[in-house]
Amino acid sequence: MKTRLLGSVKFMAETIYIRMRHRIQKKSNDVIYLRDLAQVIASDTYMSKLNNLCLYHITEQDKNIIIIDSTRVIRIITSEFKEVEVQLIGPAQTIIEVVFKKKKLSLPLFILVWFLLFIGSGLTIMNFHEDVSMQAVHQRLYTMITGKEVEKPLMFQIPYSIGLGLGMVIFFNHVFKKRLNEEPSPLEVEVFNYQQSLDQYVIMHENKESMKNLDDH
Amino acid sequence: MIINILFIIFVGMAWGITVGAGYVAFLTVFGIIPRLTQLTKTVSKIHAYEWAAVFGAITGTLAFLQQPTFALPSFLLTVLGLADGIYVGMLAAALTEVLDVFPLLAKRIGIDDRLLILMMALVFGKIIGSLFHWIYFIP
Repeated sequence: MKTRLLGSVKFMAETIYIRMRHRIQKKSNDVIYLRDLAQVIASDTYMSKLNNLCLYHITEQDKNIIIIDSTRVIRIITSEFKEVEVQLIGPAQTIIEVVFKKKKLSLPLFILVWFLLFIGSGLTIMNFHEDVSMQAVHQRLYTMITGKEVEKPLMFQIPYSIGLGLGMVIFFNHVFKKRLNEEPSPLEVEVFNYQQSLDQYVIMHENKESMKNLDDH
Repeated sequence: MIINILFIIFVGMAWGITVGAGYVAFLTVFGIIPRLTQLTKTVSKIHAYEWAAVFGAITGTLAFLQQPTFALPSFLLTVLGLADGIYVGMLAAALTEVLDVFPLLAKRIGIDDRLLILMMALVFGKIIGSLFHWIYFIP
């Protein structure tokens, strides 16, 4: 009884916990180690060997998105260290974004986009004013309040124009660099949601392990 | 005669209900009231804000059907104009957000870090476009 208990203690497998990172960036021709791909919890005897475990080598043939599935990681770890047991916590795969060259936006392009938005935004508001006959409405409102008739009720229209910008700023929760409160702005949330959807898409479509088609053998 | 009057009342009511429901649906899609409660941390007052929108719509309707005139000082118009502008500005901002213009643009040309400057292009475009319209464009 006693010896059997001792024996079972002796052969008890060491447990390694890994948590795959969601998304990492690597350059082309980089070697991907376990420490890049996942957070690892293990005893000191395994830690350094695990950290330098090579999992993938990015080659020229790879596209700019590579998905490493956790099954691949577990397979490599268990084949390398026979006596360990791997516990996966968190996401089941990591998205590797291969950065070929540091994408730097050219200033002229940025200025072009800026003016595109600026002019477009200005013209659409003019179209909108014409569309809803806002000039007539403003004139009637002026007459209603003051009892006088004017051609151009600028007393109303200049504050209106300033308010227009103010309203947009309030909605987006930004006054230049300063935030109105600590919450993320709807724009930032939108960008985040869009990135989430993209990640979800590449996880499903680029991961060879998660889709099995008829012609796969 | 009475039937005619009743019919007219019925049609008027039906028309009003449809337009009112449409207006509320429009406000809901843009989510301006939730956005304002979130910014001012006054979620508990949301019903009061709903009534503000309802009474605003009724006041506006009455004002333009009855065309009353008052002899009030004209600086009041400055306050009204500013409030009107902020409201329309929030509508415009909400519209850009609903249409997902920015996330796409930011992703396509890789400017996640300069979103704010791009947003300012929209804001200044609106202000300058509006001022240009009122001051120069209208003959």
